[in-house]
Amino acid sequence: MHSLETVHKPIITHTQLVKYAGASGDFNPIHTVVPIAEKAGLGDVIAHGMLIMGMAGEALSKWFPRKNLRKFKVRFSSMTRPGECLSIEGSIVNEIEVDGELRLAGKLFVKNTEGETKLKGEFQVKKESEEV
Amino acid sequence: MIQLDRTGLTFSIESFTIERSKIKEFALAIGDDNPIYYDFETAKRDGFSDIPIPPTFPTVIEMWGGIDFETIIRELDLNPLMVLHGEQEYEYFSDIYAGDTISCLAKVISHVEKKRMDFITIESVYKRDEEVVLISRSNIIERKG
Repeated sequence: MHSLETVHKPIITHTQLVKYAGASGDFNPIHTVVPIAEKAGLGDVIAHGMLIMGMAGEALSKWFPRKNLRKFKVRFSSMTRPGECLSIEGSIVNEIEVDGELRLAGKLFVKNTEGETKLKGEFQVKKESEEV
Repeated sequence: MIQLDRTGLTFSIESFTIERSKIKEFALAIGDDNPIYYDFETAKRDGFSDIPIPPTFPTVIEMWGGIDFETIIRELDLNPLMVLHGEQEYEYFSDIYAGDTISCLAKVISHVEKKRMDFITIESVYKRDEEVVLISRSNIIERKG
């Protein structure tokens, strides 16, 4: 197993959730409207799961050339709120061959500073000939 | 028993043209500073023919293309306050760029009830002309209070 360099993200703010809502087109109010989040029993708003997956995708494109990404799958484990600070950890687990293409298969985790896992992911990227 | 099985329900997007400015806005919202999403020359140097999309950008195509949160809630008859995103998967078959016009056919491929929760899986096939460029699968969960 080969660990990848952890990517650290700045603190998540309410404003970032508003920006992400507009950019992505996901206007579910539990992400942006505090009274509705309270009514849903969540207390404060929660971040879009897809924003957290987006951060994991950012890490993937830092670890490997963007062109090489073949498969990316995540499971959302816990909610993220404004004020939290996340980081993305990843590792290469093995090498596989799919349709005659050599690929690296790996795992990633998005966690907050307390170590709570927000998302668990798996990925496959095309292996470059010079990569170990 | 599921009160109303939604398996087989489809949604479609006829055409969605990807714009450079939308890619930039999306990358900025994530805080992804990779220059390939902002600068054409850098993207070209990295072997792309235009600005490529970030890995999770297909959500923009769905949401802004018309398969948005309100539509899903209405068509699947879900309680918006009880919906969670469980899993998300992408399979990438070809690079997708600014300037590409993409169509999308989404289909509910499974709907099961477990422990007073509904699990719904939607598979979306994205095409550029007749070429399948991407497949996504979303698993959404509705809590039953």
